[in-house]
Amino acid sequence: MDAHAQLLTQVAHGDKQALAALYRALEKPVYRFIHSRLNDPFESSDVLHDVFMEVWRSASRFEGRSKVQTWIFGIAYRKVIDLHRKRVQQDVTDDIPEQEDDSPDAATCLAAGQEAEHVRHCLGTLKDDHRSAISLAFYEDMTYAEIAEVQGVPEGTIKTRVFHAKKLLLRCLSGRIDRRVPA
Amino acid sequence: MNRQQIETLLPLLANGTLEGAERDEVEAAVAEDADLRAELEALRAIRTTMQSEETYSPGEMGLARLMRDVGEQPASAEPAMKTVIRTRIWQAVAAVLLVMVVGQYAFQMPGDTTEDGYSLASGDEAGRVSIAFVPDATEEQIRSLLLQAGVEIVAGPSAIGFYDLQLLEGVTPEQVYGILDNSEIVDTLNFPED
Repeated sequence: MDAHAQLLTQVAHGDKQALAALYRALEKPVYRFIHSRLNDPFESSDVLHDVFMEVWRSASRFEGRSKVQTWIFGIAYRKVIDLHRKRVQQDVTDDIPEQEDDSPDAATCLAAGQEAEHVRHCLGTLKDDHRSAISLAFYEDMTYAEIAEVQGVPEGTIKTRVFHAKKLLLRCLSGRIDRRVPA
Repeated sequence: MNRQQIETLLPLLANGTLEGAERDEVEAAVAEDADLRAELEALRAIRTTMQSEETYSPGEMGLARLMRDVGEQPASAEPAMKTVIRTRIWQAVAAVLLVMVVGQYAFQMPGDTTEDGYSLASGDEAGRVSIAFVPDATEEQIRSLLLQAGVEIVAGPSAIGFYDLQLLEGVTPEQVYGILDNSEIVDTLNFPED
């Protein structure tokens, strides 16, 4: 049993210190994942809180069929979807929109030479499903099987999502680079 | 492995999780193709940029909040058996409804379908199944219901919260209707009549 699974077992028995240890171990990556989808630090903090409250309440339901980390990311994934649903803002279709990078602040970002800004901006142009898949692949170095576990869909769906997401991401980034060098 | 399959696996080569024969094959393809090498470099750069970003998480403040709220709630989970029992009852009721609706409803596929199973925008509106969920329904409940019913969302939500559904292969309209119409989290179900 890995360290996270051991902690979760203790959490299931009401051990608050184990919950605190699990929080310290996973709080940063889970928060980063949530924030990558909400882009709001306050909302992200609230969702993170809800996620670990859910861990506290549901630890005994963990069946050990996946990694603890994957299970907790799955809770976070669903919490954010619930938040989106309440706002009726989420587009859950899996079609690939034709997107153009027409951000008014693109020139500012390029002038400052901030690669992270470019990547953050272009990630923000992706749909939630696509952004989540890319975030899990590149922030958390998950495999497609693990991402599928988090999002609760078949692995083939994740392959399709990542394939299209990276195309859109690269197109967006190259568009910003092209505009940096005036003809 | 064709080119699209190679391209699909490039992100895993970039994040270091690709292993075994797949890794060997993708690496060999990359070695022979300048475009693949360029894409791999770009993906590695994106990953490095993302991972080097500083994250300002709630940290100890968040932990203090968590410990405060945890103190007010016991660590208890609903027994798994409850879910199982509910599912069995639900399935039984759905089976009864299934018998009742056989012959009453016929399902029309919503327009053309792509290889991925998603309908095209030009689908026949009149033949679409559309659904709205109660406001408190969680994503987990919705996903579970859709999986049980054998349908997938192909569009939505609309401005008033409707999703368009499509049946998965091997599922009959009667089965879908029986399950969806009996669900507590379904607010409105529009099912096409023959």
